[in-house]
Amino acid sequence: MTATATDTSPAQGTALGRISRVIGPVVDIEFPLDSVPAIYNSLSTSVELSEGTRKLTFETALHLGNGIVRAVSLQPTDGLVRGQEVTDSGAPITVPVGDITKNHVWNTTGDCLNLEDGEQLEISERWPIHRTAPAFDELESKTEMLEVGIKSIDLLTPYVQGGKIGLFGGAGVGKTVLIQEMIYRIAHNHSGTSVFAGVGERTREGNDLIMEMDEAGVFKDTALVFGQMDEPPGTRLRVALSALTMAEYFRDVQNQDVLLFIDNIFRFTQAGSEVSTLLGRMPSAVGYQPNLADEMGLLQERITSTRGHSITSMQAIYVPADDYTDPAPATTFAHLDATTELSRDIASRGLYPAIDPLTSTSRILDPLIVGEEHYRVANEVKAILQKNKELQDIIAILGVDELGEEDKLVVHRARRIEQFLSQNTYTAEKFTQVPGSTVPLADTIEGFSKLCSGEVDHIPEQAFFNVGGLDDVMRNYEEMQK
Amino acid sequence: MGAQQRVFKQKIRSTSSLRKIFKAMELIAASRIQKAIARSQAASPYANALTRAVSAVASESNVDHVLTSEPENVSRAAVLVVGPDRGFAGAYSANLLREAEELIRLLHSEGKDVSLFTVGGKAENYYTFRDRAIVQAWTGFSETPTAEKAREIGEALLQSFNAESAENGVDEIYIVFTKFVSSVKHDPEYRRLLPLEVVDADEVATGGTSAPANDAAAFPLYEFEPSAEAVLDSLLPRYIDSRVLSALLSASASEQASRQAAMKTATDNADDLIKTYTRLANTARQAEITQELTEIVGGADALAASSAGD
Repeated sequence: MTATATDTSPAQGTALGRISRVIGPVVDIEFPLDSVPAIYNSLSTSVELSEGTRKLTFETALHLGNGIVRAVSLQPTDGLVRGQEVTDSGAPITVPVGDITKNHVWNTTGDCLNLEDGEQLEISERWPIHRTAPAFDELESKTEMLEVGIKSIDLLTPYVQGGKIGLFGGAGVGKTVLIQEMIYRIAHNHSGTSVFAGVGERTREGNDLIMEMDEAGVFKDTALVFGQMDEPPGTRLRVALSALTMAEYFRDVQNQDVLLFIDNIFRFTQAGSEVSTLLGRMPSAVGYQPNLADEMGLLQERITSTRGHSITSMQAIYVPADDYTDPAPATTFAHLDATTELSRDIASRGLYPAIDPLTSTSRILDPLIVGEEHYRVANEVKAILQKNKELQDIIAILGVDELGEEDKLVVHRARRIEQFLSQNTYTAEKFTQVPGSTVPLADTIEGFSKLCSGEVDHIPEQAFFNVGGLDDVMRNYEEMQK
Repeated sequence: MGAQQRVFKQKIRSTSSLRKIFKAMELIAASRIQKAIARSQAASPYANALTRAVSAVASESNVDHVLTSEPENVSRAAVLVVGPDRGFAGAYSANLLREAEELIRLLHSEGKDVSLFTVGGKAENYYTFRDRAIVQAWTGFSETPTAEKAREIGEALLQSFNAESAENGVDEIYIVFTKFVSSVKHDPEYRRLLPLEVVDADEVATGGTSAPANDAAAFPLYEFEPSAEAVLDSLLPRYIDSRVLSALLSASASEQASRQAAMKTATDNADDLIKTYTRLANTARQAEITQELTEIVGGADALAASSAGD
């Protein structure tokens, strides 16, 4: 904290230091005063364990003065001893980039995890994971909607082509399922490249994802980078950057449109907070790291579209204790073009995807971009649902019979709208046994427009549950009448 | 976190003040039920006597009076819906209107048109909201019906009954109201007022009090002056008025009873809500305290550590 980086040329590559202290994932290393590694430089050592030699990578985080640097370990630090030799690589952590990354699974430090026996990869190019965000004048200025075929998303939180999309939700409301659904819907029909970053989530889900992508034949265009929940905080803190670097290469060098999926960006913040105090920083609100906004900004500002080539990113964001005012999700909000919030209330009623229609928003829900009709219908739907929500208190106390005639109609329609916002999805087929559906935007708008104007008031609520377009509703209705 | 606590406090406040209103309304309704029942009972001797007289005339005279004989084909029926003026009575008006809708559907299926007459603001609103024509609506006395009002309604109904079919005259008159059985049981039902139905004497007594069960055979022999028709002509309007009045009285007793029950439930619901919100507010408060403590302790530790390191 106190020392300024000693001006050592970064190309040393061989400077040796010795470990002076190990506190969990944070390690202090003493270097000769004339060859202190620069901040973000990667350092390496190896330890002998019973199962064999393991290579350890550290990332320089702080200069403490007197040649001592404080570094964050990217592997478990068991087996380390004081005095052990550490080599400065002279450069930040790098990951392989280019076509070689597709069809493979990587870890944070750019090692391939799914090599066949004896397989060797010829890695021609590696990029450091710390890079600067594109300059302001390079940013993409045009805005286009990305249709996903899920009614609630297309209508209420239209996604932006080349934009940043956040899926917020507490534990177990369907974030990962929804992000997998998005991979299925977008990546599977997307000719370009996709990059998936698994940050601190379940290892099993990573496995499922690989199998699924292999089956669907999109694995050959996808690079997967994992640092799951069993990894130390250093890895979870950097894995998103590794994946992002691979995506940036496709965007900047190969001029492609890239899809970047991150599950779960909160784990990135959480990892930062895990090492923050050990690094000697004073905890800030709710115990988070004091540089929370900065850390998030460095990552988010790089996920962006430059002229002509886009990175469309979808990020799942865990909301601790369903509290949206928690600093972690609150810091993420500002960076996003569209935020889809998943609500526990809706999930507990069995309506999936459990998108909260009142709090989810999108920057492009604007008549100039999505068109007058879309804007009007979306607002009407929100107005009806908002009114219904206000009436819930009265209903809870006095019962639905006490409402005025108009209010009764609002409640009646709102209930149908809530049901109609649920939809059969492809990834949920294994839970519901109902195959998924894709609803074109025009049908979505028309369907909700009819609901709002009361044209389908006579159809019972159940007919609207877990369906695609209004045609499906009609079909259900006919079957019910038999 | 702090915001959450404030939201819950606000909800507790507003629910408590609502609760006070509901509690007061419950008590008011409870005291009014007794009055309504008493009024209904007070009207029954007259109603019973009148019913007996009409039955006597109708059964003894064998006259073919327009008010008593079944018309050949009925093209239009009048339906008088006796509802409440205001809400806060639970499902009272919803049940009544459902019964009315059923009757109207039945009449329609028999090929009859319906002329609607309503008592009480709720019934009027229901039909005007649905753009259905109401011939005449009365409001403002559902809780305290009087004989004058009943007469006014009876006259309007009879006038419509006596009018020609071409002028939307009706051939039948139905009344839909809520029969008061006891303070926990009151059922919506419909009756045909005209033409007269052959009914048992105790069913006529709509006020909840059973009329003396007189056999038709027990009637003495009457002679009618100047004629049976003239007697019927003057008797029947009174009979209609009395039937309307007893329906109004029964409805008002039912209304008060429903209101008391509804307000009791509302008070209980408000209590439950207050309890839930209080728990949530406490949780939020505790969470806030815990968090602040953790931050203070963490901060102090960090300060101590950094000063020790210097």
